[in-house]
Amino acid sequence: MRLPPSPEERIDRSRTVTFFFEGEPIEAYAGDTIGSALFAAGRRVFSRSFKYHRPRGLLCCSGHCPNCLMQVDGAPSVRVCTAPVREGTRVRSQNVLGSLDRDLLAVVDKVGGPFTPVGFYYRTMIRPRRAWPYYERFLRRVAGLGTIDKHARRSSRFDTEHRRAEVLVIGGGPSGLDAARAAARDGRRVVLVDEGLALDAQLPREDGFETIAPARAIGIYEGGLVPVDAGDVLLRFRAERVVVASGAIEQPLLFPGNDLVGVLLPSAVRRLTRLWSLRPGERAVVITADDRGLAAAEDLRRAGTSVARVVDLRTTQPAQMAARGSHGRVRSVSVDGDSVDCDVLVMSGGSQPAYSLLAQAGARVEYDGTRGIFVPRDLPPHVEAVGSAAGEGARGAAAVPAASYRGTESGGRCFVCICEDVTDKDVKRAIAEGFDSIELAKRYTTVTMGPCQGRLCHLPSIRLYARETRAEEATIGTTTARPPWAPVRLGLLAGRGHEPAKRTSLHHRHKELGAQMMWTGEWRRPHSYGDVAAEVRAVHEGVGVIDVSTLGKLLVSGPDAVSFLERLYPNRFGDLKPGRIRYAVLGTDAGRIMDDGTIGRLSERDFYVTTTSTGAETVLAWFEWWNAVWGYDVSVDNVTGALAALNVAGPRSRALLARLTELDVSPDGFGYLDAREARVAGVPCLLLRIGFVGELGYELHFPSPYAEYLWDTLLERGADAGIRPFGLEPQRILRLEKAHVIVGQDTDSESNALDANMSWLVKFDKDDFVGKWALEHVRERGPRERLVGFEMANGTVPPEGGQIVVDGLPAGRVTSARWSDAVGKAIGLAWVPPALADEDSRIEIRVDGRLEPALVRLRPFFDPDDERLRA
Amino acid sequence: MSRDFLAVELAPADGFEPRWRSPLERALRDAPPGIRDLSRTGKLHVHGDVGAPPGVEVVRVAPDRALVLCAAADVERVRGELGERVVDMSAALAGLEVRGERLMRRLADLDLDALPAAGAVAHVPATVLRDGDAFRIFFPQEYADHVGAVVLDAAAGLA
Repeated sequence: MRLPPSPEERIDRSRTVTFFFEGEPIEAYAGDTIGSALFAAGRRVFSRSFKYHRPRGLLCCSGHCPNCLMQVDGAPSVRVCTAPVREGTRVRSQNVLGSLDRDLLAVVDKVGGPFTPVGFYYRTMIRPRRAWPYYERFLRRVAGLGTIDKHARRSSRFDTEHRRAEVLVIGGGPSGLDAARAAARDGRRVVLVDEGLALDAQLPREDGFETIAPARAIGIYEGGLVPVDAGDVLLRFRAERVVVASGAIEQPLLFPGNDLVGVLLPSAVRRLTRLWSLRPGERAVVITADDRGLAAAEDLRRAGTSVARVVDLRTTQPAQMAARGSHGRVRSVSVDGDSVDCDVLVMSGGSQPAYSLLAQAGARVEYDGTRGIFVPRDLPPHVEAVGSAAGEGARGAAAVPAASYRGTESGGRCFVCICEDVTDKDVKRAIAEGFDSIELAKRYTTVTMGPCQGRLCHLPSIRLYARETRAEEATIGTTTARPPWAPVRLGLLAGRGHEPAKRTSLHHRHKELGAQMMWTGEWRRPHSYGDVAAEVRAVHEGVGVIDVSTLGKLLVSGPDAVSFLERLYPNRFGDLKPGRIRYAVLGTDAGRIMDDGTIGRLSERDFYVTTTSTGAETVLAWFEWWNAVWGYDVSVDNVTGALAALNVAGPRSRALLARLTELDVSPDGFGYLDAREARVAGVPCLLLRIGFVGELGYELHFPSPYAEYLWDTLLERGADAGIRPFGLEPQRILRLEKAHVIVGQDTDSESNALDANMSWLVKFDKDDFVGKWALEHVRERGPRERLVGFEMANGTVPPEGGQIVVDGLPAGRVTSARWSDAVGKAIGLAWVPPALADEDSRIEIRVDGRLEPALVRLRPFFDPDDERLRA
Repeated sequence: MSRDFLAVELAPADGFEPRWRSPLERALRDAPPGIRDLSRTGKLHVHGDVGAPPGVEVVRVAPDRALVLCAAADVERVRGELGERVVDMSAALAGLEVRGERLMRRLADLDLDALPAAGAVAHVPATVLRDGDAFRIFFPQEYADHVGAVVLDAAAGLA
């Protein structure tokens, strides 16, 4: 039933909207919220409380409290008091077993009290231990609020937008508007955001600044970053100055029965009567510590509710107050033994500045004893507070008499925190148990940790604490304010589901050829094209081609290039002739292996450095850092993406290449570890004769826009030689046959080049290089473990990471293991104790709990003398 | 040896006709009007101070490094004019043009009134230039599919 139309009302009675509550259609007017429409339809119980499942009704009607949380179109914990009605919306209650009006779990309120005191989950339901799975299942079912549909797909589109403003004003009340107007008059670029406006006062349209509403600032981060929840768009504001005009929040009073349905804060009365023309009830009592309660009494009278009694706590100091109800609804209020029947009880404990955003920004929060509120002080330079958020005009419940905190003796629960169902008894008990710091007590009782995030419980809990511990509020302090200041949908924070992935220029060719793609770091790479064994065979017997564009590629140029590289790497480069290539391992200051690759000398002062696929950025940063330290005349350029790279490998690779280039590719003209520049199929290439996969082979590095062309040409012209593309898995088998190491797979952050059998590349006679001192120590103390090859006695492939066992104890680990058709054995690499690092040493490897025998091998398993590689 | 293997614009040789392909060709196949592929723009990295030869744009991307943009056909000439410390990055960077501040704000956390600038676009490192309502974005080509998808998706969200 609605009151007669008024000019102030926000509903449009000419337009109706139908939505569904628990499957039943509900008629609403345009301009209603789901909450106001349900109230108009006669609903008074809106939710069941978190722990005791007590009935709860509208309390603030301002989107602060937890009393109207419902599931709306599948989204849990929506505050329906501020959610506008939309045609066809499906609304359900949450956290109930049965229905809102008959919730079976309400039994907790009747009998559970003694069994579920504060912190019960730390003490009970622990023994017997084996019953925990049952406890857990039960607790999971009854705990929490709404339910998330785990199989739900993205329900709506959420976008992120980056915005800038010279001045960002948060809050569109009178103070916020004044601040925005003033800044706009000064010629600043001003944006004002406001949460609710749609509900309270319609914002005037201003020309001087931009207004965004409904939109809610959810935090203030460093650098003036303010994320704003604007519904389906997250606005990430960067503001030079942030003006917080977030207002003040009405505070409840503490007395038994303060959570009954029908107990309202003044804002609820104002909104129900003025915006939606609803009568809150028939007979009301008002208990107030400020003028807001008196204004609410006026609103009630105007709406036709009789106001049976007004208790102004500023003039009356009752010794006892309590509300009594039946079926969870308020029926009477007794003040000093004088009982008055009512179905509405308005309580107003003053208002507390909404300082959370300011505290997040770095403001200090201080208790103002004369007004009984916490106020923000010492704001950071780019942030300012105006209006009630700054404490102006706000008045707490300094006038609230001690009596309002007593009276529990008269029975009924007195709630300090309605979100988490924490009573005054719980807080007292926590203090008695020794939780005398507010931060610890918060964690133990969970007071202020519920959906209202302390809006309604922070001040009362601290004041109760002060009273119980006989301390000053100012010395108790506050709990830490953290973002988000208001609940925010995860989808909004997640934004669009795009993940930056790197793809080579041949990515689509691989997919067309049926490659299974896998992640290696940020890169997408082909695992194989469906037949690993055939791909390996093609490289051994004919010719294969693999896309190695992911290799990091750096150009190091300048007069000091040799000195620079010699100081970075343990290798020597001064004697490397132009046109020649050297395998190199990059070490850290501690001598540990960081990355590896090949370094080709293009000219006296130009080097071409390749890195591992995932190491390019790290190596580049490492180079640039040291270059800045040493001040060499060297420039380093990352040309990773500029160049595609193909490794053409196999006994027939030379013949294939000869068809496509005028370069002399004979063994004498283009030998192992030579680098050449030439056109291949018309494309300018850097050709490197190296062979990670162990067969005769060439790496072609060339401008990436020609990758598909050159790939297609190679496959076409190599068809008669049986050319096959091969993926990473065949490559891993091929290199393992040669015992070639993969940095990061066979080495870890502790491995050094000496233990990894690479002492041949460490030149201790150089003046200095990064990690030299550490490697000298390693040389003196001798190896602690050695990287060796092994072959299994019976063909079982051990797991990578599998244990090497000596005398029943773990003594090493397998880093790589595969079956090799070419060798006819299961082979691998492993770290073993130095004493076992001899040819034919017997080791044991744990496989599925059994110990499997294996023999140590110090030479490559396949083509040990590199005859094929150097052919 | 030289560094000719970095040169994208080449004279045909040996009877072969290499086909250049843009990294964004597939990603922008269904692009709405206003989104253009600029990947063929000539792009050069220059170390140290840069004098600007005629017909080129110079964007300082770091205190000691500049990105020089020119027409594809001019790359060889400009490279010669800029001296030794130049690397042809034409193939390394993909480029695209989008229109509209709103779309750009959904792609990058950049001060759009202070361009050109280097910063993240669609979470990848990029250099952004502005000409009125049009924005040119240059970024590592290996992210072309990703950036293309993000740009088209963001544009669809505003359509």
